[in-house]
Amino acid sequence: MADTEQAIPKNVHVGAGSVLTGAQLFRRFFSERDPAVTVGAHCHLEDVQLALGRRGHVTVGDHVFAAGLMILSELEIRIGQRVIFSFHVVIADSDFHPLDPAQRMLDAIAISPLHAGVARPERPAIGSAPVCIEDDVWIGPNATILKGVTIGAGAFIEPGSLVTRDVPPRARVLGNPAQVIGEV
Amino acid sequence: MSLLPDRRVRDDWFHGLVPQCVDIDPQAYLESAYSFALCRAERAHAVRIERAAHVYSSSLFDLGTNAEVSIGPFAMLNGARLICESQITIGAHVLISWNVVIMDSYRLPPDPARRRALIERASAPLHRMVDPALPAAPVHLRDNVWLGFDVCVLPGVTIGEGSVVGARSVVCGDVSPYTLVAGNPARPVRDLPRPPRAHEVAP
Repeated sequence: MADTEQAIPKNVHVGAGSVLTGAQLFRRFFSERDPAVTVGAHCHLEDVQLALGRRGHVTVGDHVFAAGLMILSELEIRIGQRVIFSFHVVIADSDFHPLDPAQRMLDAIAISPLHAGVARPERPAIGSAPVCIEDDVWIGPNATILKGVTIGAGAFIEPGSLVTRDVPPRARVLGNPAQVIGEV
Repeated sequence: MSLLPDRRVRDDWFHGLVPQCVDIDPQAYLESAYSFALCRAERAHAVRIERAAHVYSSSLFDLGTNAEVSIGPFAMLNGARLICESQITIGAHVLISWNVVIMDSYRLPPDPARRRALIERASAPLHRMVDPALPAAPVHLRDNVWLGFDVCVLPGVTIGEGSVVGARSVVCGDVSPYTLVAGNPARPVRDLPRPPRAHEVAP
């Protein structure tokens, strides 16, 4: 299923008739959960990156299409049925670093190469919240979806939008931050 | 002249041909035939690339069967993706930066129920389920327009002569001539000076 000879991690489950490709598909895949990734049937995910942290968890429904999608998960990302991602969409369920400047300094030390081979100090608490994309959503090119967002069923995310808040079902949103501009 | 008589591009890394429907001026520059890997245009002369226009290899012409694209003289495409089902015109001296998306169609119906019917019918790459009858609204970039990187231009937009669009903007409405716009959605920031007309220039 992966287009290069990389091994598919044991905690990744892909449904019948689904295709996953991407040279960087599992390059930053560190999830220890099982299942970590569940992809439904008849999905076509081209040139995708699954960058999952230790507790990252992603579920994808059936008939999902994506090209150049980047999924960054430290907690949980759920994608429903028949969701279409245009190219270069990014979904992230975490801030990846603390917002507080002092905590961020500790984080920079914790992730530095200084600790290679020795016990690494625990990283400070980092804000994460699950992302949920419900059924029949269309997401335009270059859109970004940030942590804690639920996108309602049938919503239409215009190209280039930065989604920071929940989107009601069947809403049409645009902008940075994304605002509702109408209904589909 | 970058196009060879057998429709390959000189020194191309991509072993493909430039489609017959693409007219390239002998003095225009095309870096790679890969730019037409997604071209499904069927009309004769569907793409016109005029004199001294330059199209670099990360640009992609993602064209549907009825698409028509014209690129004016001295225009530069440095990695734009053109999604076209009806018409996109790019004027003279237009500068387009990297990762720009110019689209005249969303390719799929906005109504979730209709989209659902299309998706369940398809079992393979997306473009097989594109319905040519879907509404598309032509996009026009007039002469001397400059688009910054990561800009998106949405269906039906006309950007007036000499206007500038700031990086990462999303343009969803018409832009008047000689205006600087920026933001998502893009809004006017200020007016730009108009160049003197020919009869106003001292000899």
